Amino acid sequence: MLHLFKRLAVLSRLARKYPLGAAGAVIMTLFVAAALLADAISPFSPLTTNPALSLARPGGLHLFGADVMGRDILSRILHGARISLAVGIFSTLIGGVFGVIIGIASGFIGGWFDLVVQRLTDILQALPVLVLALVMSAALGPSLPNTILAISIPLIPYVSRVIRANTLGLRELAFVEAAEATGMTRWRIAIRHILPNTLAPLIVISTAQLGSTILTEASLSFLGLGVPEPYPSWGRMLSDSAAEYMRTAPWLVIFPGLAISLAVFGTNMLGDALRDILDPRQRT
Amino acid sequence: MGAYLVRRFGLMLLTLFGISVIIFVMLRLVPGNIVDILFDSAGMVNPADKARIEAELGLDRSLPVQYATWIGGLLHGDLGFSYVSEKSAWDEIAPRIPVSARLAGTALLFAMAIGIPLGVISAVRQNTALDYLLRVMSLSGLSVPSFWLGLLVLMGFVALFGTMPIYTQSPRGLGEAVLLVLVPAATVGFRSSALIMRLTRSAMLEVLRQDYIRTAHAKGAWPRAVNYRHALRNAMLPVVTVIGMEAAFLAGGLIVTETVFNIPGLARFLVESIRNRDYPIVQNLVMLIAFLVVTINFTVDLLYAALDPRIRVGG
Amino acid sequence: MSRWATLSLAATLLVTSAAVAQTPKSGGIMRAWQRDSPGSASIHEEATYSTNFPFMGVFSNLVLYKQDVAQNSMDSIVPELATSWSWSADNKDLTFKTRAGVKWHDGKPFTANDVKCTFDKVRDLTPDKFRKNPRKAWYSNVRDITVQGDNEVTFHLERPQPALLALLASGYSPVYPCHASAQVQRTAPIGTGPFKFVSFKQNESITLARNPDYWKPGRPFLDGIEYTIVTNRSTAVLGFIAGKFDMTFPLEITPPILRDVHAQAPAAQCVTAPLNVSTNLIVNRDKPPFDNADVRRAMALTIDRKAFVAILSEGEADIGGTMLPGPEGVWGMSKEMLATMTGYGPDIAANRAQARKIMEGLGYGPNKMLKVKISTRNIATYRDPAVILIDHLKEIFIEGELDVVETSVWFAKLARKDYAAGLNLTGNAVDDPDQAFYENYSCGSERNVTGYCNKDLEKAFDAQSQETDPAKRKAMVWEIDRQLQNDIARPIILHDRKATCTGPALKGYTQMVNSVYNGYRFDELWLDR
Repeated sequence: MLHLFKRLAVLSRLARKYPLGAAGAVIMTLFVAAALLADAISPFSPLTTNPALSLARPGGLHLFGADVMGRDILSRILHGARISLAVGIFSTLIGGVFGVIIGIASGFIGGWFDLVVQRLTDILQALPVLVLALVMSAALGPSLPNTILAISIPLIPYVSRVIRANTLGLRELAFVEAAEATGMTRWRIAIRHILPNTLAPLIVISTAQLGSTILTEASLSFLGLGVPEPYPSWGRMLSDSAAEYMRTAPWLVIFPGLAISLAVFGTNMLGDALRDILDPRQRT
Repeated sequence: MGAYLVRRFGLMLLTLFGISVIIFVMLRLVPGNIVDILFDSAGMVNPADKARIEAELGLDRSLPVQYATWIGGLLHGDLGFSYVSEKSAWDEIAPRIPVSARLAGTALLFAMAIGIPLGVISAVRQNTALDYLLRVMSLSGLSVPSFWLGLLVLMGFVALFGTMPIYTQSPRGLGEAVLLVLVPAATVGFRSSALIMRLTRSAMLEVLRQDYIRTAHAKGAWPRAVNYRHALRNAMLPVVTVIGMEAAFLAGGLIVTETVFNIPGLARFLVESIRNRDYPIVQNLVMLIAFLVVTINFTVDLLYAALDPRIRVGG
Repeated sequence: MSRWATLSLAATLLVTSAAVAQTPKSGGIMRAWQRDSPGSASIHEEATYSTNFPFMGVFSNLVLYKQDVAQNSMDSIVPELATSWSWSADNKDLTFKTRAGVKWHDGKPFTANDVKCTFDKVRDLTPDKFRKNPRKAWYSNVRDITVQGDNEVTFHLERPQPALLALLASGYSPVYPCHASAQVQRTAPIGTGPFKFVSFKQNESITLARNPDYWKPGRPFLDGIEYTIVTNRSTAVLGFIAGKFDMTFPLEITPPILRDVHAQAPAAQCVTAPLNVSTNLIVNRDKPPFDNADVRRAMALTIDRKAFVAILSEGEADIGGTMLPGPEGVWGMSKEMLATMTGYGPDIAANRAQARKIMEGLGYGPNKMLKVKISTRNIATYRDPAVILIDHLKEIFIEGELDVVETSVWFAKLARKDYAAGLNLTGNAVDDPDQAFYENYSCGSERNVTGYCNKDLEKAFDAQSQETDPAKRKAMVWEIDRQLQNDIARPIILHDRKATCTGPALKGYTQMVNSVYNGYRFDELWLDR
């Protein structure tokens, strides 16, 4: 019990010191809760159509209104959180895991391996993320897993760059040199010493990237190349209603856009605070 | 320095070569080729005709041959033919360059005009209410999808003025033409302005902490003069770098904004061409974007090396 | 006849007579909204009216549906490059006298030989070939085309086919010059029409300019036409409301958007009409369990057409068989006959109870759902009805999963029969049974995507095609249509209706009500500015 109080005290101290971060954490918690509990808290099914409710205005039973097929917008947004979160988390995760492996290996092995990796990174970074993701998702075809893949691949070089620099820095440090002196194998050093010390920069870069992956997914879906119907992806909801009902039913454009902005805003604020806490050198 | 230049140039070519291979291979993985698209508009597929058109377009040749043809042409300044319009790819791309360049340039100017001053103010007033407000604003700038912002702007325009700036043939009057550049540019530039503001702020904070600024303050120099004259000048280097990179990376923002505002620029053309599987256009456009990014990177590196003596040229 | 249909027909008549009452003025550039970048400028190679709308003005036909008559029918066909036509006694030769002194846009003279060149190319007999040739099948009954001198051409048929004249009167049947290759016609077309081609910028614009040497004296009134390509419908409609366009893309305005146009631009003239495009369910008859006719029957029974109509078109769309229902459609069957077909009865609950019984008999139930992918194109007009279809299939223990297919591979997928069930749209360029039946239901036709093949019915297709008495032919067509629906060949869900709006300055446009492919010659259009 005391333990819990202590933790709460730490949290509240952090929240006072980083009010924006705290706000971000609250938004993110709501976002994750919406995604996990979408089935339980949605007032309606996100897929059931109803002719009587076509383009219903916001208010009453349908707080955010209904789309042209009479599907409840609030329920679709709550379920849409799943898509955004799935894309955000999985593509950050894939990008992060491969980025870390490649980054550590590149920084630790060095030599020709490092050289090749560096050049590949150069190549992938010579294109704006959206352009690369656009071509990739076209190549892979529209589906949820393919969208995740198309977004995560451009992420790998960003993560591996940071991790490689971090690894190079760690190698110079006394404890790694000490471990080398005691005859530990390189792989053990990498796993025992380098990997744990990679966590902080990884968390920082991952939270920062989480927001941009959500934005990239929304942009791809908006352009019709991301997550297809019937998944209620926020970007897709926007693109269809923007094409048809921008004037006649503006709520179809406003609410999904607000959801995207809020989710990304939350991750950005949280990311900033985490960076300040975990990586004081890069403070802003 | 000479050796560094040569090495750096070599790497640049290597990167461009890598991009060309990647884009070429990825496009060939795309399900359905141009001939499927052509038939799509006819509502049927005839396998015999399909094979004939593929042969006509050279799509039946082996991939290495197709690749060599493309790169060989590129080196001679021949970009090939658009499969869709049957015009030379250059004739399709060239008229769209100024449209996108004008939009990107205006967007960047807008971003700097907003981002740099606000960044400085935010740094100088660190941890005041104003700083928090500006930081929240810049974070929201990075969070709002630019296509949504564009839609809101359009909706707002219609609500307020009953009309809106979208491209149609022969815009009437100078005012409309200016509006047609300014409004989309502000929409794209909003995100960049947020980025520039954040970086200006952190670069300024970094510099403000340094000794000579403290000395200047201690000597009793007028604080505002110190902030602007000394600190800003020193903080500009990283900011310039970011602006350089942002110039190339604006392509992402242009893609959605040109779509929303119906602007016939390069970025929207890229999306349409991907949809149409118009390989010659997509390949060359992607190479153009990569070329811009790589060249700007190169220039920024050189600037850095020239301006900041602390940077080891060997790096 | 729905109330709206009556009103819109009446409105069309009013608009037409009002236009006649004023004296047309010459001059001015018409600005029109074009919904997407057409595949090419060559009408013969394309199968969407995205090509007809901007490019029909470049060409002339032999004969054409009269442009100011809303309903296309055999009685509204008028000569263009032909001056007259006549059938031989055995009804197997159709001879046209062609107009003398007509010049192509490049100054070369037009002769009857150009007609032969055009339709020989469509019949795939010339060395210079079209890239795509979607309407080759229209002329499968043509045995030969012969030219007698410069001003006479004859189509020789295998068997009598009165509908050939209807096919030639479509916007899809322009005459091309012998001296222009297929490639020229795709990129910078040459015609004899009222407007000359000026430019076509992909995804941006299409421009036409007045043809001073047009064969119809004093026409066209317009100096030119500017088509701006706007892919986003909301944006385009805003442009129309703001006065940037004199005309919307034809039949592209949905009911909610139409309300907005009425509110914001009260001076605009809007006409709602059927597109003669049907939304239909396609089922792969070779793929188990859909090879079982009972399963297909159950699927047809669960469709609640009224619900589709209510959601997709706010009640505007029509319910019918293969042929477009009246009063706009010439060949649609009577309401009474319609109600007798499988799944068309008014009692949806009873239909579904019957369908559930079928499915239960096959071992399906609430705990054992039949899982199936419903394929459809990644376009809203396909996706939206597919979502509703899945909702309706759930009622009879079929759990549909939407399989959204990229437009680029959709037809290839259908041609390979690589689908179980799907939702499709089928357009009819000419309101004539020959086109609809042969194209979509004859064994082995490229567009017969369901693989429905009924040799007996095919004989009936031929019989109605040769029938010269319209009343007799109509009775035969109704019977065929009924059998197609009862065979669950391709259950027709609805025939959609949308609106065209024109600005207050534009005069002389008549919205055709039973085809979206034929009404864009624009030589009688004028601007009152």
